[in-house]
Amino acid sequence: MEDTAHQVPETGRSRRPRGGGAWSRYASALRTPKGMAAAILLVVLIGGALLAPVIFPGGYDQQARGALQGPSGAHPLGTDEFGRDILVRTVYGLRTDLSLILTAVPVSLVIGTLLGLAGYVSKPLGAVFQRVLDIILGFPGLILGIMIVLVIGTGWLALFLAIAVAGLPGFGRMARGGLLSEEQREYVLAARVLGVKRSTIMVRHILPNVVDPLLVQASVFMVIAIFIEAGLSIVGLGINPPNPSLGAMLNVGARYVQTLPSYVIGPGVMLLLLALAFTLLSDALNQAATRR
Amino acid sequence: MTRFLIRRIPSVALVLVATSVIAFLLPRLVPGDPAAVVAGPDASAETIAAIRTELGLDRPLVSQYFDWIGGLFTGDLGQSLRFNRPVSELIGDRLVSTLELALLSGVLLIVFGIGLGILAGSTRSRWARVLVEGTNTGLLAAPPFLVGLLLILLFGVAFRVLPTSGEVAVLDDPGIGIQYLILPALALALPMSAGVARLVQTRMLAVRQEDFIDLAVSKGVPPRRIDVRHVLRNSLGPAVVAIGIRFGDLLAGAVVIEAIFARNGLGQLAVSGAQSADYTVVQVLIVGAVFIAVIGQLLTEVVLAALDPRVRLG
Repeated sequence: MEDTAHQVPETGRSRRPRGGGAWSRYASALRTPKGMAAAILLVVLIGGALLAPVIFPGGYDQQARGALQGPSGAHPLGTDEFGRDILVRTVYGLRTDLSLILTAVPVSLVIGTLLGLAGYVSKPLGAVFQRVLDIILGFPGLILGIMIVLVIGTGWLALFLAIAVAGLPGFGRMARGGLLSEEQREYVLAARVLGVKRSTIMVRHILPNVVDPLLVQASVFMVIAIFIEAGLSIVGLGINPPNPSLGAMLNVGARYVQTLPSYVIGPGVMLLLLALAFTLLSDALNQAATRR
Repeated sequence: MTRFLIRRIPSVALVLVATSVIAFLLPRLVPGDPAAVVAGPDASAETIAAIRTELGLDRPLVSQYFDWIGGLFTGDLGQSLRFNRPVSELIGDRLVSTLELALLSGVLLIVFGIGLGILAGSTRSRWARVLVEGTNTGLLAAPPFLVGLLLILLFGVAFRVLPTSGEVAVLDDPGIGIQYLILPALALALPMSAGVARLVQTRMLAVRQEDFIDLAVSKGVPPRRIDVRHVLRNSLGPAVVAIGIRFGDLLAGAVVIEAIFARNGLGQLAVSGAQSADYTVVQVLIVGAVFIAVIGQLLTEVVLAALDPRVRLG
């Protein structure tokens, strides 16, 4: 009896030092079947994208002999209208897509969270930011992109901004919702009564509790970000040629769909795999976040 | 009803004014001289000056804004910088194409969304439910353009039964026109209807647990009547809201769908406008799209009240 009673706090402390709880929870999310599948898919996709220059040293604009050739041993998905290998361009396109979402979504997450938490510093400021987020929310996704392209022209930066701005309302509202509910909790009131500094309450008590839903939202928004890139690129407002992106390839591929269906199928399947990976990841994270 | 609409004026006005200000400021946010961007790299100084006057860039900002807004209200939408024609003419030329698409996909959205939802919410056979739910989940995850590409591959390439590119106005030739219209409309409607179906289904399952259903059953109301009069009627509210809210998405989705199916609608006008810095055209389209989305939401609330007598507008 005495032994066990003595051991419990001991193991508890050694297993989770400060902050270790969250990390082990996220790690356990990756051990579920969904999380495992997401992790494997992401490792393969990101690994493939990173290693693209090693696997295909010729680069994405190396031209072969024939244009618009059907699938063959040398070109599994055939060649495009300039005789470039479609599989190679799909992998390089994946690289472009990942470079966009893996930078734009975190930026959106941080800025959106700050806008949402602004109410903690100053109530009126928080209300103003909420109004701004509401207005952003009023623009259907693609129209936001069209507006940004109108100002700065097409290219990587326009897509980056379109994704980052489109994500702000989601992150901002989630952070504000978390702030409003956590602010009323007993432990926050207790900390305030004990005279803990406001900034400390924010960083040590409130922020850790809003991080979970924000991370889930971030992985959900990764999927939306992929589709924003694809949507804008398909209509011709995305990455400028000759650089490949999955959406830009679909834009051109749709013209040749009758003669060369693999031109659409290749990037389309890659897009679905990428979306699937992040959907599974968000499901796994969501389960882990609600389980505790 | 009238009182309700009057009460909503401030919030609707805020969104519209904010949108119009943003749309108005867009060309003025362009780094450098927007007139020079419009004129192109080798334009003469006179051309640039003429475009400056056309854009009204030589006058004070506030009076420019009110001139522009006044024009919108009186039907003077300005002059396209690229086509050298009135914006209203350009929009008029392409309005029918987008309207056809939006109307048919709106109808399909309602039919499939509510139909699939009822099927999934009331089917007693487990297999049928699994099938419907599976289709639903698949569609829920796919954006319109992927569904569109899939439909093209299926009906245009594997089985060549429908045209996948171009359009014929339904009013000119209904038989041929509908063939060109059906795939794009399906591509636009199906993914959105999955979301609506999910709502109808979960609501139906929830309503079935309510006390008044037990009462109706014990009263001896026939099952079909319970389904239609008691369960369904109480389940449609969220679906109506979901359909109304998706109105804006429908328009945004139309932009992509028009590109994939090579239709020459308003979406294409907006895209080519953005590509060629045709500011006057895109400004009007942005304000128009947001305006329609707002009206869609207002109508939604009116329909919701008609459906559920507990919701009183006023």
